[in-house]
Amino acid sequence: MLQLKNVNLNYGSFRALHDINIHADEGELVVLLGANGAGKSSIFLTISGLNKSVSGSIKFRGQELLGMKPSQIVEAGIVHCPEGRKLFPGMSVLKNLILGAYVHRKDKAGVQRSLEEVLDMFPILREKKDQPAGSLSGGQQQMVAIGRALMGRPKLLMLDEPSLGLAPLVVKQMFEVIQRINQSGTTVLLAEQNAYAALKIANRAYVIESGRIVMEGDRDTLLGDERIRKAYIGG
Amino acid sequence: MELFFQLVLNGLTLGSVYGLVALGLTLVYGILHVPNFSHGALYMVGAYVAFILMSNYGVNYWVAIAGAAVVVGVLAMLSERLVFHPLRDAPPIHDKIAAIGILLFLEAGVMAIWGADFRRMPTPYSGIVDIFGLTAPAQRLLIIAGAFVLVVALHLFLKKTILGSTIIAMAQNREGAALVGINATKVSLLTFFISGALAAVAAGLFAPINLVYPAMGHLVIMKAFVIIVLGGMGSIPGAIIGGLIIGFAESFAGFYISTHYKDLVAFLLLVVILSVRPEGLFTKGVR
Repeated sequence: MLQLKNVNLNYGSFRALHDINIHADEGELVVLLGANGAGKSSIFLTISGLNKSVSGSIKFRGQELLGMKPSQIVEAGIVHCPEGRKLFPGMSVLKNLILGAYVHRKDKAGVQRSLEEVLDMFPILREKKDQPAGSLSGGQQQMVAIGRALMGRPKLLMLDEPSLGLAPLVVKQMFEVIQRINQSGTTVLLAEQNAYAALKIANRAYVIESGRIVMEGDRDTLLGDERIRKAYIGG
Repeated sequence: MELFFQLVLNGLTLGSVYGLVALGLTLVYGILHVPNFSHGALYMVGAYVAFILMSNYGVNYWVAIAGAAVVVGVLAMLSERLVFHPLRDAPPIHDKIAAIGILLFLEAGVMAIWGADFRRMPTPYSGIVDIFGLTAPAQRLLIIAGAFVLVVALHLFLKKTILGSTIIAMAQNREGAALVGINATKVSLLTFFISGALAAVAAGLFAPINLVYPAMGHLVIMKAFVIIVLGGMGSIPGAIIGGLIIGFAESFAGFYISTHYKDLVAFLLLVVILSVRPEGLFTKGVR
């Protein structure tokens, strides 16, 4: 469904990504593991079309994404829920969600349907729908961010560190939500530092270090791998 | 009482014009973080276009203002497309220099086409209106009403329509806006159009009680900058309230202190307010 071939990314003279080859098949939940600054977000931003000076090829359902505008990539069905959430803090929760469906704005009934689905998935947002998104707690803001991404009706959803900075209980809920989204048919690419929790719900995973893919495999292989245990899980 | 009323009316008039100009400035600043120094020149071109449409082509006053709004709006879009857009990734100082370049270009252009003479723009509303036993020039009331209608319309557009929301979304989080599929280029062009059109309407409304000449935008734009600094850069309510503050201060200071110093008041206020609240008056306000 999504296939990156030999993707390189430069920030000025610094090469942030080296020959990245990853793929995700329809319906999969694929995890990108790696420490801070390893290149997970760079991969996502590159797929979303927000990074320039990229070489290689990024194909989504046979369509080349490289060179497309971020708005066209959203229209093609890839929605990116970024690290740090990037909400519109002064706007109400409802407005944030509605703007998430920006590319479907002409389909008013469809937007309303997605909105109901998202509010059913996150009942707390229904209560807070008229409050400015910036006034919510971290966990609730993350729900708005995921909800906003779902409003774009993604075929492929990219979640960048959705558990970052959240309380342990909220993290658990977040992973349950991600699993549910995936089970309802959306392909998910998930970047995480929380390796154990992420691997548990994953089909496959890639490990990234210093802008390179250093390891890949299915869930059980990686969960059982000694180096992964040492580096990312501890013990 | 009569005198006080005149001063209030005068303050409201000035405040309306300054507010409209400052609104355009703050909208553009909000999404691009470019202080558009050429905004005053757009205001000036707006006055000229309206004036020429009326005097050379005998066009109706309102049609002339609408025409000026469209022409200047398109001019503002061109400046974004041809000048600011290519500089998007350049160091921030380049935008500022380019903005001054546009200002000089437009002023020189107007001078070359229409000359440097001072002109007086006619208005069909030169009469005096009687309200509650008080007299007021019709044009001043028109300015206030016009500005009020525009501000309400702009507010509804930004808050109630999806297209308007994209401008606010981009101001609040540029990356977030791109990730939901909002096309940054289109939003920038739209914002520049609105900004230019607001300046042109302000000029068209104000010109009949002022003069039309190539340097007419200088003081207006300086005051508009004072207003958006006072109101908080990028804040829409800040621009409106800041405009009224400066308008009233000028009107009252012009009478009670001296008309010679009325232009100084805005800048004096800037110094005073910034030493008390360096972040501006309304930076916390919802944009």
